[in-house]
Amino acid sequence: MTTQVYFRPRSLAEALGLLDEHGPAMLVMAGGTLAMPLINKGISRPEKVMGLRQAGLDYVRRVDGGVHIGAAAPLSQVRTMSGVPMLAEAVKNIAGWAVQNMGTAGGNLFAPPPAGDLAVALLALDAQVKVASYRRGERMIPLDEFFTGFLTNCLALDELVVEIQVSKPAGKTVLLKYGRLYTNTPAIVSVAVRLVANDGKADDVRVALNAVGPHPFRARQAEAALRGVALQAENIAVASNTAAAECEPFTDPIASADYRRRMVGVFVQRALAQAVA
Amino acid sequence: MASKIITFTLNGHETEVMVKPLTTLAKALREKLGFTATKCGCYEGNCGSCTVIVNGEPVLSCILPVEEVEGQSVLTLEGITPSVGLHPLQQAFQENFAVQCGFCTPGMLMISKALLDKNPHPTQAEIREALSGNLCRCTGYDPIIVAVEQVAASTNTNQGGTHE
Repeated sequence: MTTQVYFRPRSLAEALGLLDEHGPAMLVMAGGTLAMPLINKGISRPEKVMGLRQAGLDYVRRVDGGVHIGAAAPLSQVRTMSGVPMLAEAVKNIAGWAVQNMGTAGGNLFAPPPAGDLAVALLALDAQVKVASYRRGERMIPLDEFFTGFLTNCLALDELVVEIQVSKPAGKTVLLKYGRLYTNTPAIVSVAVRLVANDGKADDVRVALNAVGPHPFRARQAEAALRGVALQAENIAVASNTAAAECEPFTDPIASADYRRRMVGVFVQRALAQAVA
Repeated sequence: MASKIITFTLNGHETEVMVKPLTTLAKALREKLGFTATKCGCYEGNCGSCTVIVNGEPVLSCILPVEEVEGQSVLTLEGITPSVGLHPLQQAFQENFAVQCGFCTPGMLMISKALLDKNPHPTQAEIREALSGNLCRCTGYDPIIVAVEQVAASTNTNQGGTHE
């Protein structure tokens, strides 16, 4: 089946109405960097497609030291305009320039690991995802609760991701992506750390990982191992080993599961050491 | 749904093309409009050979529905090639043996053009980052980097484009 219709709604209301009318038979895309390759190869053969580029969701608004990012904001815009260094760093490491111009912040949440590295930074920043439905209005979902498995999430069939919200980050943030090249490379592991230290102890800490599980996730056991303890080398080593133990790495042409697990230990340790320094 | 007519500016000229829904810009350029400099290597946004410039920004035309460039300004390799002679980037690619089979070259030239338009004197690291989404299986990349550096080092960076 070739695509019979390509909808380009001019507002969020129109987009939600189209989704309500056509339901899951309609493929939703923003930048098209995930959907168009599948359509070009005939793997995905949607009868109806909706593109969100014109729906008024391509904004990046700084708000009180934080940022509200429209779901269809190009990654390149997030890189230059968010005002949040860790988000800029995350985008810098996603694909190449042209893909950053096309891929979107919201769309990146739907990229399967090892892709989808924006979320690892967003998780460390306690991002919230605003979703909306034509009939039920809006709701906020902590990004931490958004992902439910490989290529699955808690979005209902009639809902669209509308916006990603990040509050002014407290503490020090570090993002490390380890791949085979310096730029434009799939992750062996991506680590995002945010550390609020008080009196040499970890008051509040986030350790987020990607490419070592079915979706970007927080290494909660590693976070727990750090909370309230002195930020010394031995405690950081314990947390790093904990993260390596709790991740669920996979083997792909980039790296083996075993290697990925070892690199989680190395790169969580490095990220934490940089955050403490 | 039936085909529809999309209007956009192609290399400085108002252009109309009639396409079926979700036709890519690359396909419209190559198969409908006869602008075949733009190449399609992978059809999935990995190789960069289909890179064109839309409103000053490089994008991948093989994964961009042509409906999305309605009313926009599209620049392809045809648009920067002078009617006589070569664009400085083309000249530098030729002189530095930055072309072998030539399939990646249109994309390499367009991403390099986009880079030099925004940043006339990039560092080598900036060139490598900008070109990182464009694959070349022949040259080993170094001659391409050298060619872009050579153009950047010349003071006439902004000369030679026939449009924009």
